[in-house]
Amino acid sequence: MIGMSRYYLSRAVLSAVFGFLFALTGSTWWVAALIGAIAFAFFLWAPHSGRYVVHPELGVTALRRDERTQGINDRSARNAFIVTMLAVAGAALYFGRFTPAVVPVAFLNYTLILGVLIYYLSSFLQRRSS
Amino acid sequence: MKEIRLQKGLKQESLAGVIGVTRQTIIAIEKGKFVPSVKLALELAKALDQPLEEVFWLEVSQEG
Repeated sequence: MIGMSRYYLSRAVLSAVFGFLFALTGSTWWVAALIGAIAFAFFLWAPHSGRYVVHPELGVTALRRDERTQGINDRSARNAFIVTMLAVAGAALYFGRFTPAVVPVAFLNYTLILGVLIYYLSSFLQRRSS
Repeated sequence: MKEIRLQKGLKQESLAGVIGVTRQTIIAIEKGKFVPSVKLALELAKALDQPLEEVFWLEVSQEG
C-alpha cells in the first residue's frame, strides 16, 4: 500500500510538471491544468486497466507491461506496420504504374490513420480473446 | 493452477501482485488462453509453493 501511495504521489508531481511544461509553451493556464488533469487521470486508470503493472520502486518508469500485454502490444504494432507498408506499396504501384502521378499526401495521411486504427483494433481483439 | 491458488486462499489480484503481472494475465493463464514463459511459470510455481509440474503440464494427445 505504501508502494501505491508512492506511485500516486509521484504521478501527481509528474502530471503537475507536465501541465507546467504546457504552460511554458504558451498555453493558457486552464489548458495546462486540463492537460495535467488528463495525465493524472491516465495514471489513476493505468493500474486498473489490465494493461500495466505498477513497479513503484522504478520511479518515473513505474508503469510496465507484463509479458502477456507486451506480447499483445508487439503483435498489434507488427500488424499495423504490415498493413501500413502494404498500403504504401500498393499506392506506389497504383500511382506509379496505372495512374502515373505523385502519391497524394492526403493518401499517405489516411494510410497512417489506417495504421493507427489497425493497431488499436488488433490490440482490442487480442485482449478480448485472451 | 486455479485449484492450487484457491487452496492457498489467494486471490487473483494477490498472486498477480506477488509475481508482478496484471490480474488479467492470471485470468488468461487459468483459462488456458495464455501460455506463460518458462520464467513466469517458475515464478508462479514458486509463489504457489509447488513444484512446476504440479502447476503446469503438457497435454498429451490421445492419438497414435
